[in-house]
Amino acid sequence: MKRLVSDGPLLWQRIGVKIAFAAFVVALWEGVVRMQFVPEYLFPGPFAVLSRLAAMAWDGTLIASVQASMGRMLLGYAISVVGGLAIGVLAARSWLFKETFGSVILALQSLPSICWLPLALIWVGLDERAVLFVVVLGALFSIATSTEGAIRNIPPIYTKVGLVLGARGIRFAKDILFFAALPELIGGLKIGWTFAWRSLMAAELIRANVKGVGHILEVGRNYNDSAMMLAGMLTILGISLTVDILFFGNIERRVRRRYGLEK
Amino acid sequence: MRIEFSEISKSFSANGKGGQRIQALLPVNFVIEGGEFFSIIGPSGCGKSTLLNILAGLESPDTGFVTVDGTRVERPGPQRAVVFQEAGLMPWMTVSANVEYGLKLQGIPRAERRERAMKFLKMVHLSRYAEALPHQLSGGMRQRVSIARALALEPRVLLMDEPFSALDAQTRDVLHDELQRIWQETRTTIVFVTHNIREAVYLSDRILIMTASPGRVKRITTVPFAHPRQKSSTELSAFAAMLHDQIKEEVDKVAATELDPDWDKRPVPVAPLPYGTGEGI
Ligand SMILES: Nc1ncnc2c1ncn2[C@@H]1O[C@H](COP(=O)(O)OP(=O)(O)OP(=O)(O)O)[C@@H](O)[C@H]1O
Ligand SMILES: [Mg+2]
Repeated sequence: MKRLVSDGPLLWQRIGVKIAFAAFVVALWEGVVRMQFVPEYLFPGPFAVLSRLAAMAWDGTLIASVQASMGRMLLGYAISVVGGLAIGVLAARSWLFKETFGSVILALQSLPSICWLPLALIWVGLDERAVLFVVVLGALFSIATSTEGAIRNIPPIYTKVGLVLGARGIRFAKDILFFAALPELIGGLKIGWTFAWRSLMAAELIRANVKGVGHILEVGRNYNDSAMMLAGMLTILGISLTVDILFFGNIERRVRRRYGLEK
Repeated sequence: MRIEFSEISKSFSANGKGGQRIQALLPVNFVIEGGEFFSIIGPSGCGKSTLLNILAGLESPDTGFVTVDGTRVERPGPQRAVVFQEAGLMPWMTVSANVEYGLKLQGIPRAERRERAMKFLKMVHLSRYAEALPHQLSGGMRQRVSIARALALEPRVLLMDEPFSALDAQTRDVLHDELQRIWQETRTTIVFVTHNIREAVYLSDRILIMTASPGRVKRITTVPFAHPRQKSSTELSAFAAMLHDQIKEEVDKVAATELDPDWDKRPVPVAPLPYGTGEGI
């Protein structure tokens, strides 16, 4: 008998297909380059890019750049998370705060955070701090608004239960509100990370004396080195995917399993 | 132990701020004695949950006040534990952590609260599931944990708002017997809200019957049978049937205001009756 509902592909099938397709894309890329529609210095092949990447890894510039960018990211993101959570909780629990600061934050959220860079440079003078400022602003407002949403969406039963059991103040916020909001909160933190990362890349591209993975692209452009630019882009993409899938994806899945939201 | 409701009234705004106001409770006065199993019944929307929430401290009355042993209720707290219609177990905590959490807030040391949690989980026959997560339990098991969590607080009074109405008839039967036994063991005062007349008659010492909305005390009836009771007892059924007839009047009032005007011209009422018929309570 024919099955009406298929179980979908198995894990090894899905991974196998992905690997095969990646190999196909690389082969296609190499093929197109070999046909020389465009000169190779404009559009280098995969082997040129990979060897450029290996060279940068060898001479230490890659590690140093990744370290510099991730250092900025972690510091800026940590500030945004702490600030964003606090603002979000305030906005969800106090209508006065929401109607005043809340509306300002909502409006500011629409402004791409990189637009703050010129002003930040004048304000704080130093490149490093101005970039940090932009990274923080990139994530702060979005984390604040999604935190507020996550708290408002908490099923009222948990707040009632928490109050009856005797939770108050900080205990109530960290034991009940935080965990009840967590599944939704993680989504907000992930988006915050993405915003912060994009802001950082933009800032590193613009400011020549801020070293980092974004800076690799700028150096590549100055030397007309397309392979270097592509190698830099691969690095950035690699970091984005690692954080998105391995870090946030993993945490999200674990939390959802624990809460019984998925198997 | 003595709980006193004095001139409690409450209204809600019907549609947001500044809208028309709905009177949920007209001034209500009554007293619940210590150790009593006290039930509140009344048609849907008459203000039973509102009354219970005011006693819990989750809502504040417009007028009047509730006192427990002479102390006014101002805010919710572990002295007045509540079991809601949904179990409301915190899904990020294990069963045992759920039961222990209230004790942790009271600063009870780990070993002692663990012991107390196990004692109450045993009471609801779930000690084997202490390390399970709430989503791994059935609905009836979750409600049992919720009862254990409330009892572990060793409250002065246990409030229950239709705790069994989301469960199937068999599970409900089992939990009725367990609740009756637990009540006799712990002698905690219980205030129990329900739609179900037979449930109220089976469990209670006294039953408060509320009028249709806006809620008032229609009357308070004493159930004249000793505990433990037999659910199949014919006297119990006869008593419930008598109560049902007396309450019919209130049901009709709700029907007249909430249902379409042609509801009682039909040979069989298709609209859901505001009272449970009590089959297999
Ligand atoms: N938060 C609220 N906002 C507005 N109206 C409310 C609110 N809570 C209750 N009410 C109204 O107050 C009245 C009493 O509600 P309550 O929930 O106490 O009734 P109930 O007797 O528990 O009903 P049921 O048996 O269906 O649970 C209803 O008319 C309801 O619409
Ligand atoms: Mg109710």
